[in-house]
Amino acid sequence: MLDRDLAAEVLAAARRNGGDFAEVFVEERSSTSIRLDDAHVEELTTGLDRGAGVRVCHGTTYGYAYSNRLDRDSLLEAAAAASAALAGDASGPVVDLTERVGPGTNRAERPAGELDAATKVGWLREVDDVARSVSPEVAQVTGIYFDSLQRRLIATSDGRWIREDRPRIRMVAQVVAKRGDVIQTGWHGPAACAGVEFLDLHTPGETGRRAAERAVTMLDSIPAPAGEMAVVVANGCGGVLFHEAVGHPLEADAVDKEASVYRGLVGTQCSSELINGVDDATIANGWGSFDFDDEGTSSQRTVLFTDGVLQGYLQDRMRAARMGAETTGNARRESYAYPPIVRMTNTNILPGAADPAQIIRDTASGIYVRGLGGGQVNPATGDFVFGVSEGYLIEGGTVTTPVRGANLIGRAIDVMSAVDAVGTDFETWEGVCGKDGQGAPVGSGSPTLRISRITVGGTGV
Amino acid sequence: MSDLGDLVRAAVSVAGGGEQVEAYAEEQRETEVSAHRGEVEGMKFAESRGIGVRVIRDDRLGYAWAADPSEEEARDAVRRARENALLAEPDAFNGLPAATDIEAMPELFREQSAAIPVDDKVQLALDLERYTVSRDPRVTKVDLAQVGDAVSRVAIASTEGVDLEYARTDAWVVAVTLAVQEGETQTGFSFAITRGLDQLTWEPIADEAVDRAVQMLGAEKPATAKVPIILDPFAASNFLGVLAGALNADNVLKGRSLFADMVGRQVGSDAFTLIDDGRRADGPGACPFDGEGVPSGRTELFTAGVLNGFLHSTYTARRSGGGQRSTGNGKRSGYKATPGVGASNFFVEAGTMPFEGLLAEAEGGVLIMDVSGVHSGANPISGEFSVGATGRRIGPAGALGEPLREMTIASTLPEMLQGVRAVGSDLRFFSSVGTPSISIGEMTLAGV
Repeated sequence: MLDRDLAAEVLAAARRNGGDFAEVFVEERSSTSIRLDDAHVEELTTGLDRGAGVRVCHGTTYGYAYSNRLDRDSLLEAAAAASAALAGDASGPVVDLTERVGPGTNRAERPAGELDAATKVGWLREVDDVARSVSPEVAQVTGIYFDSLQRRLIATSDGRWIREDRPRIRMVAQVVAKRGDVIQTGWHGPAACAGVEFLDLHTPGETGRRAAERAVTMLDSIPAPAGEMAVVVANGCGGVLFHEAVGHPLEADAVDKEASVYRGLVGTQCSSELINGVDDATIANGWGSFDFDDEGTSSQRTVLFTDGVLQGYLQDRMRAARMGAETTGNARRESYAYPPIVRMTNTNILPGAADPAQIIRDTASGIYVRGLGGGQVNPATGDFVFGVSEGYLIEGGTVTTPVRGANLIGRAIDVMSAVDAVGTDFETWEGVCGKDGQGAPVGSGSPTLRISRITVGGTGV
Repeated sequence: MSDLGDLVRAAVSVAGGGEQVEAYAEEQRETEVSAHRGEVEGMKFAESRGIGVRVIRDDRLGYAWAADPSEEEARDAVRRARENALLAEPDAFNGLPAATDIEAMPELFREQSAAIPVDDKVQLALDLERYTVSRDPRVTKVDLAQVGDAVSRVAIASTEGVDLEYARTDAWVVAVTLAVQEGETQTGFSFAITRGLDQLTWEPIADEAVDRAVQMLGAEKPATAKVPIILDPFAASNFLGVLAGALNADNVLKGRSLFADMVGRQVGSDAFTLIDDGRRADGPGACPFDGEGVPSGRTELFTAGVLNGFLHSTYTARRSGGGQRSTGNGKRSGYKATPGVGASNFFVEAGTMPFEGLLAEAEGGVLIMDVSGVHSGANPISGEFSVGATGRRIGPAGALGEPLREMTIASTLPEMLQGVRAVGSDLRFFSSVGTPSISIGEMTLAGV
């Protein structure tokens, strides 16, 4: 993509006005996406993207410029533009670039790029067939298959030369079920940084079936109650909650800007003592995993909470330097078109000791959440909200009627402190997180959890 | 580097017999500068260019795209799209639009905006931050103070005779403040978008971001109740995206819209009129033609509460039959995607009553100033929603009272539209959606 001499020349140009460091990020990404909708293969798209971004940093000031073109002139132009953000009058050094080799966190055994599109179309037919076989009330099925191979090259002024390939694969089913005037939807979308072997474990048929069952189940739902109550969050879903409510305020950019409720709380008990949480980019083939982050730091497992005590924040190089900490390898970017920002990788609540079935039996009344549609947090206030895509009433220790239109709302510290049971049954969930206009694939995971009191926003008063 | 028009024409020139080929290319130059603690926080320069090609052969559609292609690579994208078409299923409604006369919109491109030097943008960002943190002793920090602008060009050519180009300039300013009092932090957001930074009056944006944060200090969680609700434009704009999805003909055709069988019916109250108008030049979503070269138009989706129809692309119009024509809403999210159905300037028509008048008639209710979690909490297919909200109580004579947080509002889209009692005169655009304040009957507010 770029030879070492040219990379060094671009880095030198980027350091024209000094600064703490500079980096060049080069990317080539080929992707296939196929959409089956309304029982038809509606769209089959192949793309080829490439480009390079140059970043120059000093303190928490940065300049960033990118180009689709990888020729010398374009790269030097980008370096000059990025360096203009700094006002220094002396240039900075560039250390000889030395290759660093990662452990191969995301190896694809059977790369998706080696299969023809007809095979992939066949998987989507399986999604469609199985979803429709679940019930005559299944009215519409959309299946989306996606794979990509991102080839990355990172060169930094402190001498790192890193090449890493990231294979991605995802299968999504979205199902609409209809009964009279009632319409409900169900969704399932497993994903990994892996090859097509991933689909052996998460078969297309299973994806279609799970989405269809969700949609059909929700046809029987009643409007969700409103007000404070106990909520049992099923395994997998709790990770989404942890990501949103806790993970975002633990990102060092929010902390540094004094826009985090967790600022100043490291070493304090600010969560239930049942909570042990990590951000872990080293999980093999995880949706948010990698060998090196997008500024060239080795991936790691960062402990966030031990028995409810906050251990630290998620860092990148700029914020860590300012806060006197070490980077945790959490600098990520959507593509070469964006500068890296601090963000999560795979964020998990670790398993506890409670029997998940017992957690439900011990709950006199409340809501059981089996699907979350995603959420949003204001890191500065800790106020968060989650849409419940699949929820049920809990009555007398038993999961009963499905509920629709529910939402969980709360403040991060209060809600994490109100967790009074953590199960043994860890499960993951894969999503795409949005921050500062950039999307990033993130994993999350948790066992079954109970929150003793949280506000459920429904319509039933 | 090829001219954009040459690039798309080069691609179309290799069309084979019996196939339709369309090439769409765009290029963009964008600068964004943010300031923090009196210094430049970030400067971003982005230059992108790419092409996307649709090939329709035997009613089968294939697509391929490439970033910054040479003319040779543009022609290769046609070959790849053709290959992809072989695997798609035939759909008789696939087809490219015929060329139509387009009325140009030269006012979308401001030469003087495109020429603003970077140093001026840096100064503007620094001034914005300095001013923002000087307005109130409780607001000494920003989360974000950013200015940006972009110059974009689009070219489309097709075997059906389409051969179009246009250019636009856009500029924006964003302020997110942090107000702190007795250990409590609240945030305030404001935003404006115009044709050029030289047209931008940013002080009111900074003032509003300060005011919106300070107003929320001391906010409490309310008791669960059914109360009259007023959505301010910030809050209301969040629902327009959900409405746009439900009024998208593609969703209607595929059984994914609750409005599918409601055309001609009184769905909303007679105070509610909703319009999409791509030719409204003062709207950020203005454009002379859509992503497949069909002229932008004005579509009244709801007139006094009656649903008239949906937004259409060429495909959805053909599939709907009955003489339906594309409404010029075949939108693209960029060169990497085929045209789908999307809104241009999508807005609720302003009423005559000022915001204060709406408040005065809603004593005992709650003004909603922001909503969160709309992408997960509102379902455009079933129409149900439950979203997080912040706001203030409405007291006697419309006086705003205590601030409220950690609550949700929940209803369904039809109930909300039926409940519209009045819309304000304060229409305001947020990106391509615009809305005035909207007074709605009762909604469930969940808190304690």
